[in-house]
Amino acid sequence: MAEIQISVGSTIALPKAALEKLVANLHRMGYQVLGPQIQDGAIVYKPLESAQVLPRGYTSQQDSAHYHLVYTGHQRYFDVTPGAQSWKQFFFPPQTELASYMREENGRWKIEERIIDQTPLALFGVFPCDLAAIQIQDRIFLREEWKDPFYWAHRQSAFILAVNCLHPCGTGFCASMGTGPKASSGFDLNLTELEDVFLVEIGSEGGRLVMEGLPILPTSAFWLQARQNSLDEASSKMGRSLPAPQDLPDLLLNNLDAQQWDDVARRCMSCSSCTQVCPTCFCWDARDSADLTGQTARRERLWDSCFNQDYSYIVGGNSRPNTRSRYRQWLTHKFASWYAQFGTSGCVGCGRCITWCPAKIDVTAEIRAIREEVQA
Amino acid sequence: MIPSIGLPHAISPAQPMQPYWAEITEIVHEAPGVSTYWLQFLDPDLREGFHFKAGQFNMVSVPGLGEAAISISSDMEDGHRIGHTIRSVGNVTSAISRMNVGDVLGVRGPFGSWWALDECVGKDIVIAAGGIGLPPIRPVLYYVLHHRQDFGKVIVLYGARTPNDLQFTSEYKSWQDADIEINVTVDRGDDAWQGRVGVVPILFYHTRVDPRNTVIMTCGPEIMIRFVIFEALARRVPPERILVSLERNMRCGLGSCGHCQLGPFFVCKDGPVFSFDKLQPYVNVEEF
Amino acid sequence: MTNQQELIRALEAIPWFQMMTQEHFAKILTIAKIFKFEAGQVIFHEGDKEDYLYVVLEGRVAIEMSVPGHGRIRILTAEPMEEVGWSSVTPVVRQRTAGARAVLPSRLVAFDANELRRMCDEDHDFGYFVMRRLVNVVAGRLLTGRLQLLDMFANPVEHKEE
Repeated sequence: MAEIQISVGSTIALPKAALEKLVANLHRMGYQVLGPQIQDGAIVYKPLESAQVLPRGYTSQQDSAHYHLVYTGHQRYFDVTPGAQSWKQFFFPPQTELASYMREENGRWKIEERIIDQTPLALFGVFPCDLAAIQIQDRIFLREEWKDPFYWAHRQSAFILAVNCLHPCGTGFCASMGTGPKASSGFDLNLTELEDVFLVEIGSEGGRLVMEGLPILPTSAFWLQARQNSLDEASSKMGRSLPAPQDLPDLLLNNLDAQQWDDVARRCMSCSSCTQVCPTCFCWDARDSADLTGQTARRERLWDSCFNQDYSYIVGGNSRPNTRSRYRQWLTHKFASWYAQFGTSGCVGCGRCITWCPAKIDVTAEIRAIREEVQA
Repeated sequence: MIPSIGLPHAISPAQPMQPYWAEITEIVHEAPGVSTYWLQFLDPDLREGFHFKAGQFNMVSVPGLGEAAISISSDMEDGHRIGHTIRSVGNVTSAISRMNVGDVLGVRGPFGSWWALDECVGKDIVIAAGGIGLPPIRPVLYYVLHHRQDFGKVIVLYGARTPNDLQFTSEYKSWQDADIEINVTVDRGDDAWQGRVGVVPILFYHTRVDPRNTVIMTCGPEIMIRFVIFEALARRVPPERILVSLERNMRCGLGSCGHCQLGPFFVCKDGPVFSFDKLQPYVNVEEF
Repeated sequence: MTNQQELIRALEAIPWFQMMTQEHFAKILTIAKIFKFEAGQVIFHEGDKEDYLYVVLEGRVAIEMSVPGHGRIRILTAEPMEEVGWSSVTPVVRQRTAGARAVLPSRLVAFDANELRRMCDEDHDFGYFVMRRLVNVVAGRLLTGRLQLLDMFANPVEHKEE
């Protein structure tokens, strides 16, 4: 058989049966592989031992406050779209120890040296929306002036195996946000699942190395067309849309007194679910504690949310004392202020906030309502 | 952007949440509940010359309790010791208020934007401050003392709740001697108080402001700031020359944790000093 | 005894008098008198009949109210060129609602309130001019009172959820 050249930027085909070997290669190269598995009726991301435990044969049905996994017996590994978890928990864990202190003999505090875990992670099965979210979080945690050491510890060595999304989740609107259903960059490998093979785009040298020894095949025009057809069909089957996201900074920031904010405030419970499931939300708080003897102390970083009551506390009061102001803060930050802060929208259109809001609030509907109110 | 104002500063790019230790060398009681803590870093390089600009703040911490954002209220040109004027209002500041000379605090910084003094050269400066809003501006006054000929008229309009709450009263004479005009008022006086009773914005009624050549610097309760801006705009001072120092819930100082956001700004890094033209779209929106 | 020259010089120094017509200036001059007070001296008591509208020329005047159980509280001070006792010009209130006392040695010009009201009634142009000025004074006092009421320097309260 002719030697197939794999190079960065090229696309090759991998028989489905060989997926198992790909996972094994990653393990052998020292990665801790994390991938989607079913737990408690939902997709979670946890250590992936083999391709066997991927949610093959499942699809997910998602709508406002509705999430349901259905087994249909098909043979595809990556039909089922993400659940409440996103990949941010691995680079930006919900709880991290920032520092630990000990009292010395003279009563003064000393910071204990600590080793931050640097296990290389392989994220297996990252959908394009989530890939875009990782790139957005990179801009937040890795800056010119400093790098968040905890984010960097895992991010610098992370291997990303992305998967094009051929079965839109229903609540997502990635096509509107320009983040899907196809992954364009930032991956080591990007898979498109066809009937018999995966088409694999090689995104980096690391991706190329992982493919070594696998029974790859050359792509064919037929497969490339099939991929294109699937992606086109996926784009047309989006459950939601958000027209002109680049207009939102003006629309939202110029209409901070719109009636719609009062309307959504009546429904929103300020429960902060949306911020927890959102793959780009990054707010955190530092919490200090000491033991009873006062000899040791620690500083932790915890996920926080702009919906929490204490979030906007200032001496003498709270600058956002009600749900209306907090919901407005979240939406205007995500869709408007983020551009000024980080150069992109804060939303990747993954739809999680719509699926997981217990009050059935749909950001695309809220924004549409504001547009309509303003144009009236 | 953490300003690159020249090392040394107490921020580690690899561990930006890690504090540097500083010892309390002197505690000066300024007003009920308010004292200035003079600190010296334990690290010899930092002790040699910690650099900051007027208006910036440090995150001051007590291990086991927490961190608080405190403006630096000392002289920029004296890096050997830094002063933080602290009002005891919460857990961390209350704990600091119970500390003694020799105790050690954690310090990270300096953070934030600063009073643009180089843009004030040749201009008049009107400082309108209230209560604990004067400490963040004191570094400006020290700078003016060292470089008086660089500026035109320098006027301080300052108010506090009662005569006891006025900050830095022992320094007023030295400022006046340096041709800095000081007008003071209190919200409530007593029989012993022979000065003005009224509010800071009203002090503008007795102040001649040349709108073509004046910079306003203001810091204090936000409602006072709002009316100071009102008076400044009424006297036709352009919004770009009205500088405001804001306070928000600052928890990291790095523009990372999100708490201090005001619209697109992170008050800890795009502020706390803002020129009013930037804030205009947001300042009258309730609860933004 | 008020010296006419002294009076004219004093009135000319007051900014809003500089905007009066000659005729109005001459009119108001006829009801003006200068008073001097020592530091601590009472100018009028709460409850007094309203006899004069004052403008401070030099010194400082405190406006005070008596609160049973708290004694005399100093509400506000009036600086040179500021008015004291503006309510004497409005017909409704018959008695002083607060007292005034000189904090520093002070010099004030006083205008007979009855005469001033009569002049405003007879000459509406003059009356409008005077009232316009006094409305601004009241507006300033109201703003000051509100900001004092808000007690913006007070120690922080527990933050309440709405």
